Amino acid sequence: MMHPRSVAIIGASNTRGKVGHIILQNYLDAGFDGKLYPVNIKGDKQILGIKAYKSVLGIKANIDLAVIAIPAEGVPMAMEQCGKAGVKSTIVVSGGFSEVGATDLQDRLAAIAKKYNMPTLGPNCLGVMDPRSRSDTLFLPSFKLDKPRIGGVSFAAQSGAVGSTVLDLISNEGFGLARFISYGNAAVVDEVDILHYLANDKDTKVIVFYIEGVKRGREFIEMVKRTTRVKPVIVIKGGTTPAGATAAHSHTAALAGSNEAYSAVFRQFGVVQADDISDVLHYAKVLDTQPATTGNRVAIITNGGGTGVLATDALYRNGLVLPELSKESKETLKRMMPSTVNITLPLDLVGDADDKRFSDALGVVSADPNVDALMVIALFQTPGADSRVAETLIHYGTQSPKPLVVVSIGGSYTLAHKNMIESSGVPVYDSPGSAASSLAALIRYGQYRHRVGTL
Amino acid sequence: MAELMDYMEANRLLKRYGISAVESSYVKSPTDAISFFRYVKSPIVMKAISEKALHKSRSGLVMLNLDTAEKARRAYDELSKRAAKFKPYRILAQKMLPHDVEIIVGGREDPQFGKIMLLGLGGIYVEAFRDFAVRVCPITDFDAGDMIDQLRASHIIAKDEQSRSMLKGVLMRVSKMLYNNGSIGELDLNPMVMDGKRYVAVDIRVLK
Repeated sequence: MMHPRSVAIIGASNTRGKVGHIILQNYLDAGFDGKLYPVNIKGDKQILGIKAYKSVLGIKANIDLAVIAIPAEGVPMAMEQCGKAGVKSTIVVSGGFSEVGATDLQDRLAAIAKKYNMPTLGPNCLGVMDPRSRSDTLFLPSFKLDKPRIGGVSFAAQSGAVGSTVLDLISNEGFGLARFISYGNAAVVDEVDILHYLANDKDTKVIVFYIEGVKRGREFIEMVKRTTRVKPVIVIKGGTTPAGATAAHSHTAALAGSNEAYSAVFRQFGVVQADDISDVLHYAKVLDTQPATTGNRVAIITNGGGTGVLATDALYRNGLVLPELSKESKETLKRMMPSTVNITLPLDLVGDADDKRFSDALGVVSADPNVDALMVIALFQTPGADSRVAETLIHYGTQSPKPLVVVSIGGSYTLAHKNMIESSGVPVYDSPGSAASSLAALIRYGQYRHRVGTL
Repeated sequence: MAELMDYMEANRLLKRYGISAVESSYVKSPTDAISFFRYVKSPIVMKAISEKALHKSRSGLVMLNLDTAEKARRAYDELSKRAAKFKPYRILAQKMLPHDVEIIVGGREDPQFGKIMLLGLGGIYVEAFRDFAVRVCPITDFDAGDMIDQLRASHIIAKDEQSRSMLKGVLMRVSKMLYNNGSIGELDLNPMVMDGKRYVAVDIRVLK
């Protein structure tokens, strides 16, 4: 399903705007180099210039994946034909199942998938995107959605809307995509299966999950435990059920509702919980690029005094601490820095700091035994800050064994440098608060890994 | 409709898991009340317990600080009068524990994840501050400590290393009890208070 070599598109169409048209067009646009088999019951000879079939049964070849995008009532028959034709997996894009109360129809679909032992994603989903194999079943016109570059972050979402917006956003952030899976109603393949797949997927370094609810709670917990031992899982949970929505006879039930149970599972088993879509992006980029650590002592280096103060506040708000530099570091820095620089953390390199001063400071501070992680505030409005400073940050952000994040706040000149730094694998934040909460997420996850013995 | 487990049965269940509860006994007459008072040799509390009255203090079914035999006798008569409309009921006598901190330890069966448990600042503060931590059972020693640390009131409910490790023990035992007893639908130990060096349950509510 994830990297098919042959794909049948059931409901493919020559009519612009039809879901089946967009899916086929996207396969062509993406340069998919496997076999494509458009299927349409109307019996068109060709669709988008490719030989078309009336039914999958007419395709006398191996089919790894059938994408089904036809009205709901026709789906069981199409599934049955896929089963008979020996199709290896299906993705049912069509809506009109349990989400509108048609649970019978969904049960029929699930039963057919089971009968033929055919993994089935959906219904009511966007399907999958795999930038490595260029398989993409998303029925979103490619010009409307930025598609991310290849990378290590996999993203699974129950909701297609949340899925596609995050996909659009991560394309504009400095990290790339391993797999995208929108699984809709989860009639057959559910959260547990997807987590299982992504946990074992060597291209996936970080898993991001948008869920509204899970079906097999205890199995989900077991899978989460297995997964977070080896790679980070970031969850954003939608669908708030107020505590005590069902008649509660006890204080406990009135306080600890369904959401509290989910939060408990996430906290207890090492899941990084994000409250908002922006948090997802912030956490994913630091977990994707920076080394793990268990210590919470964060050194701040800045070229703007006030921002350094704000950053210090943000550290403490997030349960992190600003350490004292070692005596040796202080003596070395005193020799290197001009007299305008006060040798204490947050280390304010002052407004005329250039790449040399940044480099000297980073070299000493990143090697200090009292420091577990670094936050570097680089304000590119200052006279000394230019692309050479960005290069210095890239050097330390990719070479240092300690995690490093950058804070750069500003307009287009700043943005250009942000892109340069991020595309090299060093996360850049536009506020000390998001940088601190992201470092805190990285550190908490590191501590969890240490606790379960995998770090 | 959830069924309330008999108080003394719940008391015995806690005891089997090493969870302390305050000295309690049903009293069936004014004479019973007086002999319980004489037996514990300190002020007592009397409560009328009925499935029909979920909030005992709000329904006027709790009488505190009974520090003479005469007060115990009169409390029995008064509670019998007040509880008449909640028949059937039973009257429970308990040793009164002077205390400053009240915590809640509880649990419930979650339809998705099975048994979950809760620790919070208890008594009248439960609803006001909503300062509580939730975990899935069974919990580990780390989880027990992490639950305490998660509360804003962590230093109030566990003042020192000794009370912290005692409370962790309570949480581990409650977790085990919840996990081993599938039939428990909801549990409230609210409040638990400090008696000397340990937390003991003053009110127990187990719903099956």
